[in-house]
Amino acid sequence: MLMIRNRMLQNVLRWAIPFVLLPALVIAGAVIFGERRHLFISFAAAALSVLLFLAGIERKKTGTRRLVLTAIMTALCIAGRFIPLCKPVTAVIMLTAMYLGSEAGFLTGAMAALLSNFYFGQGPWTAFQMLAWGLIGWIAGAMAEPLKRSRALLLCTGLLAGVLYSMIMDVWTVLWYGEGFDLQLYLAKILASLPHLVLYAVSNFLFLFWLAKPFGEKLERIRIKYGV
Amino acid sequence: MRGFSDHNPAVLTVYFFAVSGIAMFCMHPAVTLISLAGALLLCLLHGGFALKSSLFTLGLFVLLALLNPLFSHSGVTVLFVLNHNPVTLEALIYGVFASCSMLAVLCWFRSFSRLMTRDKLLYVCGRLSPKLALVLSMAMRYVALLGTQAKKITQAQKALGLYREDRLRDHLRVFSILLTWALENGIITADSMAARGYGIGKRTQFAIFRFRRGDVLLLSLSLLCTALTLAGLGALDHSFYPRFTVSVHSPAAVCSLISYGILVLLPVMTEAKEAIRWHCFLSKM
Repeated sequence: MLMIRNRMLQNVLRWAIPFVLLPALVIAGAVIFGERRHLFISFAAAALSVLLFLAGIERKKTGTRRLVLTAIMTALCIAGRFIPLCKPVTAVIMLTAMYLGSEAGFLTGAMAALLSNFYFGQGPWTAFQMLAWGLIGWIAGAMAEPLKRSRALLLCTGLLAGVLYSMIMDVWTVLWYGEGFDLQLYLAKILASLPHLVLYAVSNFLFLFWLAKPFGEKLERIRIKYGV
Repeated sequence: MRGFSDHNPAVLTVYFFAVSGIAMFCMHPAVTLISLAGALLLCLLHGGFALKSSLFTLGLFVLLALLNPLFSHSGVTVLFVLNHNPVTLEALIYGVFASCSMLAVLCWFRSFSRLMTRDKLLYVCGRLSPKLALVLSMAMRYVALLGTQAKKITQAQKALGLYREDRLRDHLRVFSILLTWALENGIITADSMAARGYGIGKRTQFAIFRFRRGDVLLLSLSLLCTALTLAGLGALDHSFYPRFTVSVHSPAAVCSLISYGILVLLPVMTEAKEAIRWHCFLSKM
């Protein structure tokens, strides 16, 4: 786990972060930050969960090959974000997760968000983007088998991932702007970002439709050929 | 000579997270204004503003400020009634301060990304987690490498007469070739890394950044100011609804505001100190 080499301390921290540190931060935030507590709590939860996931990945012994392949997929995601309008990022993350596992999926999603925001603008939303894309990867990795078997399921998941991604990011915007969570404001924000939502969902659908088979074949081939 | 940006990246990261975190999570009008002033000053100091993005930000600012009165109807001072809904002064004031706060955070982050170049990010990440830093640095390399290789493949395809700009199928074929190449190349890279002993021992890291006296000073100053600000935040009193009131009466509140002011001005003070020193050196010669 990040920076800490002592194994016992690692284990203590692994349990302490979700069960002690997070509640403590939530309570402290609610006391100190008054009306901004929703924002603070959501931010702390997002940042800590990203850290926890990454710490888990750091602990695990991943093969060198898998690590390099993850880096390549991350680079593809970043390059893909430069394509105007249709972004293949989510599709690439999902495919990576399906063939290289949940951890690789999370790492690709989180790192793609962190790195590409150096070109597209860093902000407090980076933590949420990292979590959102990382979780999409994690979930796609967890349901790799059914996704590989059924193309319809894969495409539906892609559509859903686009919709959920946009709606989660809207929650964050509303929390940042308003006092607490205003449902009316949230609905207005969803309506305002509807074009984006549709664009995300459609581009996920299209890229999964185009890429799933060739991408899958190539990754599968590499897996069989080199035993990744 | 060491400007603010020449300090240790870890110190810069701590500083920026502290200053923008307080700006983001505290809605006290005074804190927001201090933060906005400091952020704009720092932006001005480091390269100024591009006209186009400034105009965009200004438009966003006005839009966000005017948005709140349309959705929130609390507050006692009714300005006018729109579609049977009262538009109140308090809601407008809240909107203005909310958008000030967002603008301040945006400016802080813009300065942050301007100062924290990618080598500094790698340094900070590598300190936290060597594996992540490795993935990050390889991903950055592959972004450039994939671009170069894509160009090469396109040229080869053109020479074979298989590539036309306007055909989507050709673009997809180039992408497919690129992907195969990248994956194979990745395996070769990984094997080469393994052959040279990656993963055997603890991973060390080369970094050009050292922890110097100025870094310790800056770090302790920013931590101290942050702690003082946070300690006094509870004493800061204000409300937007039903009536807009701001009062700073207890010593703790004043102390909190002053320490936040110092925190916000740390970069400017560092730069000013260096400028004065430089001036002194010049006049001696």
